[in-house]
Amino acid sequence: MIRAALKTTLPIFFGYLPLGIAFGLLFQELGYPWYFATLMGICIYAGAAQFMAVGLLAAGAGFVEIAIATFFLNSRHIFYGLALLNSFGDWGLRKLYLIFGLTDEVYSLMSTIEVPEGADKPQFYFLMTIFSQSYWILGCTLGAWAGTKLVFNTQGMEFAATALFTVLLIEQWIKVRKPLPFIIALIASAIALLLFAQHMLLFAISLSLIIMMLLRVTNQKVRDEY
Amino acid sequence: MNIEYLFIVIAIMSAATFATRLPPFVLFSGRGQHPLLQFIAKYTPPMVMTILVVYMLKSVDYLSAEGFYAAIALIVTIGTHLWRRNALLSIVAGTVTFMALVQGWF
Repeated sequence: MIRAALKTTLPIFFGYLPLGIAFGLLFQELGYPWYFATLMGICIYAGAAQFMAVGLLAAGAGFVEIAIATFFLNSRHIFYGLALLNSFGDWGLRKLYLIFGLTDEVYSLMSTIEVPEGADKPQFYFLMTIFSQSYWILGCTLGAWAGTKLVFNTQGMEFAATALFTVLLIEQWIKVRKPLPFIIALIASAIALLLFAQHMLLFAISLSLIIMMLLRVTNQKVRDEY
Repeated sequence: MNIEYLFIVIAIMSAATFATRLPPFVLFSGRGQHPLLQFIAKYTPPMVMTILVVYMLKSVDYLSAEGFYAAIALIVTIGTHLWRRNALLSIVAGTVTFMALVQGWF
């Protein structure tokens, strides 16, 4: 099962390693010891928020501002939990860790792939989450510790995240086979890009969910088909 | 450099991030069978995946060579996936293509 979980999360490895290194490189310019980048990868574990943290730390931002900015930057995660309510059972502390580790990438995998035949679901999810976080911590640490001494050129490796989401989008299409959610999401993305480019993700996800639910309430055809 | 400040910032950001991931599980625990929640659970993933792809592609500079490279890498990713339907293979193929083009391996 460890092998299966490693194989499933390998795309996340290719995405997190260069992104983590990029964060570590930025972070070490602040002058803090490298292991604080590791600590941030362990405790915060959110890509965009950690990048934002570098700017906030450099500016010496206030605690309230930091709390609010972090919450809003990550608030799209609320929708991820909604989609996984039935996927997570009462698994105690393990479940708490799964919730803690629910990043864009991990959510995307969990909501799309099937747990391999014969595998224990909570254990498989747990391994997926802990492996993914390990890749992130490794990247953060490498970037901050090795800094500019890195020999391997990771430029362009960040495309792995785009490729992962593209593949999972195809898989979602094969699974759902109805155009409406995809069309709504495209329209919502376009509106979000035009109006709120800075908070595009949160705005587009909220908007598409609202449209989808409104259609279900008001349109008989949508109610029957979806 | 102020270690105490850094510690507090890390604690606050950890709590704020967790606070965005936890609420659904607390608010709707045991109510996952509700038809509306099942509807949301079913149709959020395809919408989120579409939006994430748009989000990743929006930062590409389409007036430079990078836009061209991204388009090629995307075609390789999709083509490989439609051909073999092996997620890892498609992702590696697309990523290696993009890295090769960006770094000028040829």
